[in-house]
Amino acid sequence: MKAKKQKRQGDFQKIQLKVGKKKPKAENATNVNFKSKAIHLPEQLKHADSGPTTHRQLDIKDLLSKLHHINSNIKQGALVGLRVLLSAQPTLIELHASAVLSEVAALFTDKDGSVRAAAVRLLRFIAQCISAERVAPFFPLLSAHLTCAMTHISEAIQEDALRVLDVLLEHYPGLLSQRHTVLLTNFLELISQKRKAGTGQDKSGKGGFALTISTNRSVTAQQWRLTVLLRLGSFLQAVVEERPLEEGVTSMIGLGMWAGEKGSVTSVDVSWEEHVFGKGRIQVFENSGAVPTSHSTYRLRPDSKAVAGMNKELCSAETVQGFAGTLVPLMLEIWVEAAGGDRVQTDSGHLLSAEAMALMFQILTILQLLRRLTPQRDQQDILDAWFRNSYLTDFKHHFMKNFPYGLLEVARHRKKADGKRIRQQQVAAGTVAGGNVEPLALNVTLCQVMVTLSLRGQDHVEAEDADWLGPIRGFIRETLSSGGKLSSKHLAALLEVVWRMIVTQRSRVVTDDLLQAVYVQYQQRNLAVSVRTLLLHFFSQLYIQEHQNHPHIARSRILARWLASLPVQLVQLGSRNPQLSAQLLETIHPAAARGNKDLLQSLQKNACNIYDPQEGSVVVLPVDSQKRLVQILHFLPTFPAELLACLSQVCNTGRVSASLATMLVRTIHLRSPLSGWSSSSQDVPVKDVDYLSFCFTTLTGFSSEMLQALQDTDEDGLMPSSTLSPLSVFTTTLEQFLHHWDVVEEVCHCLDSLGSRAQCFDVIQNAIIKNLCGLVVVPDCVCAAILRCVPRLLDVNFLPSDTLLHFLSDCCLSMLSLLLQLEQSARKRDAVWEACFAALSTVPRLLRLVLQSLHVGDLCEEELPVLAQILSLLLQHTQLRNHMMANASLLQHIIQDLTHFYGGETREQWLTDLLYCYSVTLSGHRANMGMRDIY
Amino acid sequence: MSAPVEVVLSADSAGQLFNCAVFDPHSGSEFLSYRGGNTSSRSLTVLNGEYILGAQLGKNFINVWEIQRKDQLQQKIVCPGIVTCLCASPDGLYVLAGIAEAIYLWEMSTGNLLAILSRHYQDVSCIRFTDDSSHFVSGGKDNLALIWNLSSVVQLDSSRTPEPCHILSRHSLPITDIHCGLMGPQARVATASLDQTVKVWEVSSGEMLLSVLFDVAIMSVTFDPCEYFLFCGGSDGNIFQVSLCSTSLSRDKTFQTDSDGNQVFKGHRNLVTCLSVSMDGTVLLSGSNDETVRMWDVQSKQCIWSINHKGPVTNAVIIPAPANMFLADSHPAVPLPRFSRHLNPSEQGDGTGSGGMCLRLRANTQEPEGTYLEKADELYSLMCAVTDKVSREVHCCCCESVVTALRQSVMLHL
Repeated sequence: MKAKKQKRQGDFQKIQLKVGKKKPKAENATNVNFKSKAIHLPEQLKHADSGPTTHRQLDIKDLLSKLHHINSNIKQGALVGLRVLLSAQPTLIELHASAVLSEVAALFTDKDGSVRAAAVRLLRFIAQCISAERVAPFFPLLSAHLTCAMTHISEAIQEDALRVLDVLLEHYPGLLSQRHTVLLTNFLELISQKRKAGTGQDKSGKGGFALTISTNRSVTAQQWRLTVLLRLGSFLQAVVEERPLEEGVTSMIGLGMWAGEKGSVTSVDVSWEEHVFGKGRIQVFENSGAVPTSHSTYRLRPDSKAVAGMNKELCSAETVQGFAGTLVPLMLEIWVEAAGGDRVQTDSGHLLSAEAMALMFQILTILQLLRRLTPQRDQQDILDAWFRNSYLTDFKHHFMKNFPYGLLEVARHRKKADGKRIRQQQVAAGTVAGGNVEPLALNVTLCQVMVTLSLRGQDHVEAEDADWLGPIRGFIRETLSSGGKLSSKHLAALLEVVWRMIVTQRSRVVTDDLLQAVYVQYQQRNLAVSVRTLLLHFFSQLYIQEHQNHPHIARSRILARWLASLPVQLVQLGSRNPQLSAQLLETIHPAAARGNKDLLQSLQKNACNIYDPQEGSVVVLPVDSQKRLVQILHFLPTFPAELLACLSQVCNTGRVSASLATMLVRTIHLRSPLSGWSSSSQDVPVKDVDYLSFCFTTLTGFSSEMLQALQDTDEDGLMPSSTLSPLSVFTTTLEQFLHHWDVVEEVCHCLDSLGSRAQCFDVIQNAIIKNLCGLVVVPDCVCAAILRCVPRLLDVNFLPSDTLLHFLSDCCLSMLSLLLQLEQSARKRDAVWEACFAALSTVPRLLRLVLQSLHVGDLCEEELPVLAQILSLLLQHTQLRNHMMANASLLQHIIQDLTHFYGGETREQWLTDLLYCYSVTLSGHRANMGMRDIY
Repeated sequence: MSAPVEVVLSADSAGQLFNCAVFDPHSGSEFLSYRGGNTSSRSLTVLNGEYILGAQLGKNFINVWEIQRKDQLQQKIVCPGIVTCLCASPDGLYVLAGIAEAIYLWEMSTGNLLAILSRHYQDVSCIRFTDDSSHFVSGGKDNLALIWNLSSVVQLDSSRTPEPCHILSRHSLPITDIHCGLMGPQARVATASLDQTVKVWEVSSGEMLLSVLFDVAIMSVTFDPCEYFLFCGGSDGNIFQVSLCSTSLSRDKTFQTDSDGNQVFKGHRNLVTCLSVSMDGTVLLSGSNDETVRMWDVQSKQCIWSINHKGPVTNAVIIPAPANMFLADSHPAVPLPRFSRHLNPSEQGDGTGSGGMCLRLRANTQEPEGTYLEKADELYSLMCAVTDKVSREVHCCCCESVVTALRQSVMLHL
């Protein structure tokens, strides 16, 4: 029992606790003698196996999951991390585009400002990397979130939504513009609210919206409205520019060849050579059979139904009217408020503060864009009329009263050095970009908007429009003629206004008044090229397009003066600016074709300068312009002798291509009455005498002075005369020779097709005898040209004079000996041989003369082989054989002499060749006897 | 001998033997000749198969022969100026003449001068009708070719000047010749020009379909009836054949290749001024300034026959033989009226209502339904403009009712 008790005591020993002593630890007490730390995992230990990571080793999934975190710091951190990761690994963007975009878009409406800012930054980065096509599938989501943000109850979120919009506008204007139905109302709601049904009724005509003012924004109401209008402006711009092509056009694509481009049928261009050699295959499809093109005028009904069907598209006048009906009153109200606010500070209404100016500029820009929303012309006219009916009085009252506007000089008293600071202040104050608008830009835009309201040619409205069109006219006149330099952008806008006013007002006074101002601008020196081009384009389009429909434009003195000045400018411009010259020609050509008297007179006066062979436009400009200049020749009223002299030199100097030179010759030919083309014979542009002398000069290629000068020179190209080459031949360069050869071909053809060949030949023969026969030194190309021309023109029953024949035989012999020395070019050899051959075969007497002039006794030993080669050349040719046979005795005589004078013991190759040719030629015809005689 | 189906009609500028003559297309033998004066280029035309009209070269009148009375000059129509080109509509109702820059339109039934169209800036060089007489194309020395709708030219009230439906302005030198294909308003038009190109256009839209650049100026152009080939007469006497239908795609093409020269008709030595293809497309007629008219076989490109004239050939054309031509005792169905020289505005309709009265379009060739519909629409728009102040709904209803009434009247009319 006792033992049991002890045992129990052992089990349950009571521990005595004593005061002052430390309480012993219970045996089962937890040892808390350890330190704990929270485990942070900013980085993962994972590597490489699951894709790229940030420097914190977070991969994209982690980052995306953190975007749902409740803590905004973590969200912001994740956004920053995403940006870093994606910029390091651009390939990831494509892979995870859907996830990233949807997560980021969700944060547009985050309640924390810094998160939104980071989201926008990330979006901007992503937008830079992904093209619009790839974003397109996710764009509904993006735009839904954007809409959500824009209509959010919190104003800060609304403001940031505009930033998102900026990014999207910058990168995906096309995609965004498809969402216009939703976005446009969102814009309206940003600055206004729907009126209650009851209140909307009493102010009829003011639309169903009223401006809102909220006091707790970070910016003033005006600045906020300006920001919104700015975005609205750029959004409408995107809608206008990214409009898809017309349906009719897109359906045409797929037929391959007729792939529509800007609504026009692509035409097939082939040249004859390509076609002949099978390169340019033509396949003209049936185009207007089953499906007429969109440009066909054959429609059963005007397709107004189709437009009504596309009502959702923002291009019919009605939809635009609906939208404008709410927007324009709002904008007017905004402007009234802004202007009213200004007027407190100053009493002069035409001076505006920078902010008001920006606001007005934005309003005007939007008005312009609204008009441009409708692409079709008729729709635009409807819209213009509608604007005029609804808002003309308002516009007149609010905008035109103080026109033109100037900048209120508030900030000017500060030094320029402060400029930067001011701008910084402005930025800080939330005035967004576009804050600085020049007064000129504002005024010009106002002009543009107002002028569209003036209707086309209706007399009864002209009087009532005068009160507001007058100041505009005055302003334009002053701006253009003040002598200041305008930037091309402003100038383009001004010219547009001028055009519209000229066309709508239909009065000669107005036209001349405005055109005079433009002309003053045009006459300024040292204009920038773009500005000059613009002005030139304006005038030329005015002339070409509106000339016919509007007699008041056609009669304008200024336009006539401008046209008359064009040839002078062309001459003055020379080769300095080929583009500008080309543009000048683009006007001169049609004007000349239309027979504009002023232009033709001036052209005639300056023709000699333009077609000067040394520095005239026709030689210094590029090929296209040269071609145009040659074509313009077609419309020149008369060709005086000096001009023809110039043109003939132009043909031969080699500064225009051979094909162009032949074109020139042809043009002159067609203009001369001898060609028999022009049916009206009352005016004679080219006199017959002048024409023939032109032909002859071009044929020779050298003027008489040049030939004279050549007689006395002692140049390298000269080959001295000898017995075998009676004329001293001046060798021209290969290039010159071939060029001249082509020209000669054309001239021969022209002379050939003149009416009476005998007379024509007589003229040419006299010209040759008079100008060429006495010469000692003759260029080779002249020889070749003469040899080629004479046989072509020679009539069978016409006897050429002896002088001519002797000269020809000299030419022929010289050319034949030249032929043997030519090795450099096969083409030149061919040409020379062709000429000689043609002459010898068509004029039998010529061959006889040539043979007679070969006096073997006068030759020195070195020349014998040359002679033999010439003879064998002649003998070898089959067509010449008959003629040679006719002169057999002469030939035999020469060959006998040749063998006789050749003293060498060994028979050279050339002699063998000659004898062989001779025997072959004469075989069967006294051949044996001839051979026997020789030996 | 049975009467030939087609005949060749040609004229030269000398007029020594005859003014114009009719030849057999197969042999080139002369059938008939018409004497008196000579004819200028592109101004010989057959009116309604009953008269031959030819403008006198360099003078301001048009010679007229009844087609069966070959030796007798029937009449001279005196014009306000020298006629540069002349064309009668295929239905024989209208005659167009280019006189200096202006185009004059006469109506054959009354001889009234209906319109003077002065849209060209320089002389008109060529005028052609489409085969259904609904449109015509005019080309001038101002590089422009204009496509006109005949009905719009005729029907317009005098307050508005007629406008061409299309302006073809892509040539850079004067237009020398025009050819209209078949198919009426859906036809294709070929224009030749001194700028060494031939361009093919579509009448309905005015779009250019094809442009072929040559190395010589082109003086004349024509299609074959199938529009497989385009024949272009050059200023150097060659005639070029452009194949519009490429056969390289077809599989069973034999290995023959189009070598150089295979597509050129060589023979003339001077400007080829006129070209014409027969109905079956097998032979090509060409006239040239070298005073010959040649007939070619299109397939082999050989000259079949050639006729020498005494002067540059101004007109040469293959036409279906008119029925009256070989019947000496026949008479024209309609006597030729006196052509008026001045535009008479009182004859013109001055309102849309009376515009219908002066319409003399033949019932089947035109589409009266279309024109009436157009007029109804025009009236509609006019009323819209006038009654702008009236509330929209009301006048819409009213206009609709007017339009329907008009349509009903049209139906009755038909």
